Amino acid sequence: MKKILSLALTVCLLLGLGLTAAGADELTEFHTYALISAEVENFNVHYSQGARDSNVMTNLIDPLLTNDPKGALVPCAAKEWYSEDDGQTWTFILNDGMTWVDKDGAYKADVVANDWLTGLEWVLNFAKNDAANTSMPIEMLKGAGEYYEYTKALAESEGVEAAKALGLEKFLETVGISSPDEKTIVFTCVDKLPYFPTVTTYNGFYPVSAGLLEEIGVDGYKAVSWDNLWYSGLYTITSYVHENEKILTANPAYYNAANVKRFDNVVIKMVESPDVAFTLFQTGELDHVSLPQSTLNTIYNSESHEFHDYLTEMRPTKFSYQYHLVYDKKLENGEPDVNWNTAVANEAFRLSWYYGMDNTPVLARNNAINPLSCINYGYTANNVAVTSGGVDYTQLVRDELGLQYTDTYNRYDPEKGAAYKAQAIEELTAKGVTFPVEIDYYILGSNQTAKDTADTLSQVFSDCLGDDYVKLNIKTYVSNMSTEVRNPQLASIYINGWGADFGDPVNFVGQETYGEDNAYYSITYSKINNATDEELIATYKEFTKLVDDARAISDDLDARYAAFAKAEAYMIEHALVIPLYYMVEWQITSVNDYSKVYSAYGIQNYRYMNWETNSDLYTTEDYAGFAAAQ
Amino acid sequence: MLKYTLKRLLQSVFTVLLIVTIVFLLLRLMPTDYYFTEDELIKLTDQQKLDRLQAAGLLDHPFTQLGRFYRQLFTKLDLGTSRRVQVNKPVVDLIASKFSISMRLGLTALGISLFIGVALGVSQARFKNGALDHIGTAYTIFVNAVPHLVSYSLVLTFGARMLGLPSLYTMRKPGPSSILPIVCLAMGSIAGYMLWTRRYMVDELNKEYIRLAKLKGLSTGSIMFRHVLKNAFVPLAQYLPYSILLTVGGSLLVERFFSVPGMGPLLTDAISRYDTNLVQAIVMLYASLGIAGVFLGDILMTLIDPRIHLGGKEAAR
Repeated sequence: MKKILSLALTVCLLLGLGLTAAGADELTEFHTYALISAEVENFNVHYSQGARDSNVMTNLIDPLLTNDPKGALVPCAAKEWYSEDDGQTWTFILNDGMTWVDKDGAYKADVVANDWLTGLEWVLNFAKNDAANTSMPIEMLKGAGEYYEYTKALAESEGVEAAKALGLEKFLETVGISSPDEKTIVFTCVDKLPYFPTVTTYNGFYPVSAGLLEEIGVDGYKAVSWDNLWYSGLYTITSYVHENEKILTANPAYYNAANVKRFDNVVIKMVESPDVAFTLFQTGELDHVSLPQSTLNTIYNSESHEFHDYLTEMRPTKFSYQYHLVYDKKLENGEPDVNWNTAVANEAFRLSWYYGMDNTPVLARNNAINPLSCINYGYTANNVAVTSGGVDYTQLVRDELGLQYTDTYNRYDPEKGAAYKAQAIEELTAKGVTFPVEIDYYILGSNQTAKDTADTLSQVFSDCLGDDYVKLNIKTYVSNMSTEVRNPQLASIYINGWGADFGDPVNFVGQETYGEDNAYYSITYSKINNATDEELIATYKEFTKLVDDARAISDDLDARYAAFAKAEAYMIEHALVIPLYYMVEWQITSVNDYSKVYSAYGIQNYRYMNWETNSDLYTTEDYAGFAAAQ
Repeated sequence: MLKYTLKRLLQSVFTVLLIVTIVFLLLRLMPTDYYFTEDELIKLTDQQKLDRLQAAGLLDHPFTQLGRFYRQLFTKLDLGTSRRVQVNKPVVDLIASKFSISMRLGLTALGISLFIGVALGVSQARFKNGALDHIGTAYTIFVNAVPHLVSYSLVLTFGARMLGLPSLYTMRKPGPSSILPIVCLAMGSIAGYMLWTRRYMVDELNKEYIRLAKLKGLSTGSIMFRHVLKNAFVPLAQYLPYSILLTVGGSLLVERFFSVPGMGPLLTDAISRYDTNLVQAIVMLYASLGIAGVFLGDILMTLIDPRIHLGGKEAAR
């Protein structure tokens, strides 16, 4: 009898749950917000470079490829793509039936392969695009740099108008791109680049119709606005008031409308601050809201709060943060900071930080409720690359390191840290280093949040490594980190996050190599190329060799990723940089974040497509289920 | 009067050009790194940065740039295009799309403030040390003591959650959504007009001619409005044209807080984003309006108070 009763109760419960789920409708109109400080500056996708523009533009024009919620590349304007020579030449075949429309959805032209040629010519023409978004095409496409220099020289010698008047002839002669027919685009890269398709999700590789350029002219397209733009994407903008509100309406002529789920309208309100956004959310004017720390704490600490059970943890943002060490630091008088430079070149000194620091309080500055969800053991961000077996590249790195994400800070090993500290003191004392080693850390003077975080960091150094060993000096700059701190090389460390430009680990580890002009962090931050310590240079050279070996593998992506994982693990095990955290925020939402595009590179993450929504709010439990299902 | 007007006009033009020139050159003294976002500083190579600056004409000598600016201004009435706030949009169009909204809200708030503030100020003076006077004083202290953002938050919470008014300004419902911003704009001004009207009226009430008027048997209403208010309003009137013209400039705090797409935050935005053309245009506009406002204030005073003369040997000002 008891069994029957239990069974009946279970059935009732399940039915109840089912009914509850069935009662929650999907949203047809989505109300969201953005901070006014992040208002769109520009509707010219080729010129715009910031997320403020891209988050909107990605919905208005379809690129060749996009990403799915796991970060994998999926078809968009191109229905298929392939390379027959291990990645030197890439062919993209376009879908049928794609059209350009105006803001009201009225037909303007067909989308054809030539639109991508016109778009790339625009980007690479100095006079048209003012050198914006040129770096990736120049780095990757044959002849792109040459064409850019040609247009620049032409603008200087014959005037800007002459360069603006250029069509496609010279461009096609010079640059590795062609369209054998209206539906086919062929890119020729400078080398075998197996990751090239991921680059097509980026602004510089978006199309523009030659018809639009004809209609509004070169200067018109430079200043193109929402009301004269031609759209080929999921939505058109039907209302736009600068720093107030924009409304995206489902593009009625969208070629793939039958196969994708879209909102009828997306209303984006511009708000002054997260606090105002929360007020709007409370009055029911928004469907989701990110929570500032103080609001989050208030809700979390009050079980009776109306939103307590609806707190949900967002997925990590695309930036992977590390402690970046500077190997050629200078004092304020311009002289080298010999004490620091000698200390940081010592591997035991670096490893004492790597193992000896429990960074949990620093993580808690980003996520007070669940700091360990911010842990980052690697250098490359999540979802940059996925193996053929569906394994994220970062997992390969963690396997190499022997570290996994659990409910403890696995890397933290105080005994090992203390042993390295003792070794470092012995070795460095012999080299004349005085203790405590002073660490100059710079923050924006007017930023109280940065000051609070720096204080926490200072406490972590003090508690974990000891005041006899290191001392963190919190210093401030007035307004510009580059001019005031980076260029004069005043900082000992930086905490920085790097976001990928394309889907390959080289985009991360390639920034830290030795003796390469394109290694951004090496040139701009760590200044490793100026270091004199032979042991340190040898370590860097070995790391660089491992990266170059991985880079050379272009015919087998799994082998390539495995090789990069070895290089990255080498870099981390020698503490050339020290991984720190991901940003993980909290929210209250009607959207399942795990149904959104989630990519570490490109500009696809804000595509309002195939989102699962719930007219009721998702609960904390719902989200735990979504995360577990990943 | 004509001579005085022409002289002031010429002085004004010179002052505006001087201000614009100084601002123009000061902007060029800033390091060019400010031209780029932090993101761009990270991702762009030095050569790419130079190319961008070259394309924007910022590598030329500041005086060459200044010459180009004035040549364009005087020959084509062209103030250039925005470089960051709305990329490549003519700054005149950008300002034109915003100032009418600020002006509409500002004029409404000013009208309400004047009416309520002056009326309450008169009542406070009339019933000095009475309950109304104390309440008015308390209101003035409250408005001036509480930080604006706190009082705006109170207005937002009360208005949106209790009264169901739109939280943010929207062009789709400009009427209802203007109520909360106008309340916030008027709150401070009401206190200001109330305070100064009361103060000037109390001053006037203690003067001999008022005692004489009372002795002659004039009614209190007649004394208050025909004599006291008329004289007490002269100092307030001087700033009225200035206040009206400066409604064009909007309010940085209120407009930001309620997402009003007006002029208020435009100058700070333009400065923080190194949008040089926009900064120059706005500075020119504000300087012109400020100077015109003071000039018109002087004229208005002469109209209200015939004892005041402008220019000439016997000029009072």
